[in-house]
Amino acid sequence: MTEYYTRMGDGKRVLMTKEAIMADIQAGTADAADMAEIPALTSADMEKLFEIISDKNRIVGVEPGKEVVLTYDIGQLDFTGDNGNSGNGVDMGRLEAALLHERALGADTFELAHADYSIKPVKPIIANEMQTMEEIQAEIIAPYFYGAMPNMGLYYAPDGPYGNPADLMREFKIEESMASSEAAAEHLARDIEFVGTRIIAAGADGFNFDTTGSAGDADCVGTLNGVKALREACPDAYINVGMAGESVMGIHGSIEFEGQVVAGLYPHQQVKVAQKAGANVFGPVCNTNTSKSLAWNLARAVTFIKACTDVAEIPCHVNMGMGVGGIPMCETAPIDAVTRCNKAMVEIANVDGI
Amino acid sequence: MAVPHYMASGMGGIRSAGDLVARMEYSKNMKVGEAKEYVAKKLGISTLDIADEFIMRELREELRIGTVTAVPGVPRGIAAKMNIEKLLDIKINSCEKFRGMLN
Amino acid sequence: MAYDNETKKLHDALVSCKVPDIKAAVDEAHAAGMPANDIINVLGDSMSEVGVLFERGKLFLPHVLAAANGMKAAMELLGPEMAADAGEAKDAAAVVMGTVEGDVHDIGKSICSTMLQCAGFEVHDLGRDVPKANFVEEVKGGCTFCGMSALMTTTMTVQKEIIDMLKDAGLRDKVCVMVGGAPVTQGYADKIGADIYGESASETTRKAKDKL
Repeated sequence: MTEYYTRMGDGKRVLMTKEAIMADIQAGTADAADMAEIPALTSADMEKLFEIISDKNRIVGVEPGKEVVLTYDIGQLDFTGDNGNSGNGVDMGRLEAALLHERALGADTFELAHADYSIKPVKPIIANEMQTMEEIQAEIIAPYFYGAMPNMGLYYAPDGPYGNPADLMREFKIEESMASSEAAAEHLARDIEFVGTRIIAAGADGFNFDTTGSAGDADCVGTLNGVKALREACPDAYINVGMAGESVMGIHGSIEFEGQVVAGLYPHQQVKVAQKAGANVFGPVCNTNTSKSLAWNLARAVTFIKACTDVAEIPCHVNMGMGVGGIPMCETAPIDAVTRCNKAMVEIANVDGI
Repeated sequence: MAVPHYMASGMGGIRSAGDLVARMEYSKNMKVGEAKEYVAKKLGISTLDIADEFIMRELREELRIGTVTAVPGVPRGIAAKMNIEKLLDIKINSCEKFRGMLN
Repeated sequence: MAYDNETKKLHDALVSCKVPDIKAAVDEAHAAGMPANDIINVLGDSMSEVGVLFERGKLFLPHVLAAANGMKAAMELLGPEMAADAGEAKDAAAVVMGTVEGDVHDIGKSICSTMLQCAGFEVHDLGRDVPKANFVEEVKGGCTFCGMSALMTTTMTVQKEIIDMLKDAGLRDKVCVMVGGAPVTQGYADKIGADIYGESASETTRKAKDKL
């Protein structure tokens, strides 16, 4: 029986038969469909996904004419960083990193980022970031954003003034936990407006919010309120809202954005609140399960993302990095797996960008 | 992961017309198909050609909208973006700020 | 099967995450003569389901805690009877949990601590950026499970260092070592000699319960 080289979610190479790959594709899409109450992939989609996964070539790609926009998050940190963020540990200036991405690496957009890559620590050094933004805007041609994670965890003890909601919940202080989340979300929204308006004033094309909702539903609401305020202050700014996971984790459970409870929202629902807040582009996410195969993970991710692009009124740029979008959780993600994920996201999930 | 992404599905940034398509997605909320058509029409070429490095290399130099190679005298940075503003009929924030600094 | 009706009511009440409903179902099952251990086992299995529903975005943390509160009330009511049945009181297994030194990410670890607590473990959550020696001290103090989280490839190596310290202190055989966090995989857990790898909070909790 013919066997095909493919990958596990941790990147390890495995041999699988067509039957085994198809079984994993069916199980992966069924899992997403069940979780988000969305349609599973059609038989034709699943057959196409099998063809992509089982392609004999090491690298696969989309058909000419089907290329999509390639946006980058994390800025220069993908070269300079070494914190589990696929960084290469190569120290370089932020201008050099920006021009390298623009001129050598085919980036359609790029961004400036602070080493901590979070909103909160940028606030006290915003003048420094504004100066660098002005300098790089003078040289770069491609759209150049400022990027940061809302990372509301930094607003909770011991890093911030508010009690840790998960700890308070464990002590059965449910009301106190919710109040803490709400206060932190308001603080985050204020900081987003502060940082965002200043960096746009320095000439940034826009702002990329990366891993929205990483600290749960209040983090998501704080970010959306910050985006709304930024949109009102800067009507022409390019705003990208990227998520942290396929589902918004309900730490608070009932906190709302514009009358919508955000806990438990899936990509096809998340995009609606993001566009309502004022995002121009939405970045849906699906996390990789390292114990499952590429076929299972990619089928699951494509199912979530396809449901999202089907209803989105704004472009969707799916997150495709280490451990997201079907790509294995591996610092040196295998090139065969990465390119298969790209092709599937473009040709089956119909994304507008990656 | 930049290289496999570009090779598998990327438009190529300023190596082709990816930056221009991105600007239309972000400034007008256009989906990729609409954004490509808009840019192709403005450039006077097909949507297949806008991701073609061979075609776009010469065209970018002619239109003075920035190239990947350092050609002396060809606009880059703010100057190239000012030409992109005219080409795509959009405003670019850094150009607006630059103009605001002039006497 | 005996007590089918009571079993269903206990399950439905716990998954509904409403404390009064859970108490009522427990009272009803108890009054019908259902053994205390069986009642707690049904609630425990249902609690695992609540954990899975949380991870699938169907229930939120306050729901999980409400269910845990209901289960706690049942334990208080039925504890003396269970102890009498067993001949002696059984202490909950103690778990030390923490994000390893150098790493400040604690959301995932906190959720995992909550799930373990809801499953009846006595959780000693040390927070994040926890010095290595503190894990060892907790094991010396009686924790029989040691859970370590790391969100970065640069800090996951600390999990191995702590396992080595447990070996050096002669404690490795006395503790079940659990590892997790975004970059951690089953392969890595096997490589460093951990006993449990948890892909998620509910999977970690299920595997920890299986070790009891």
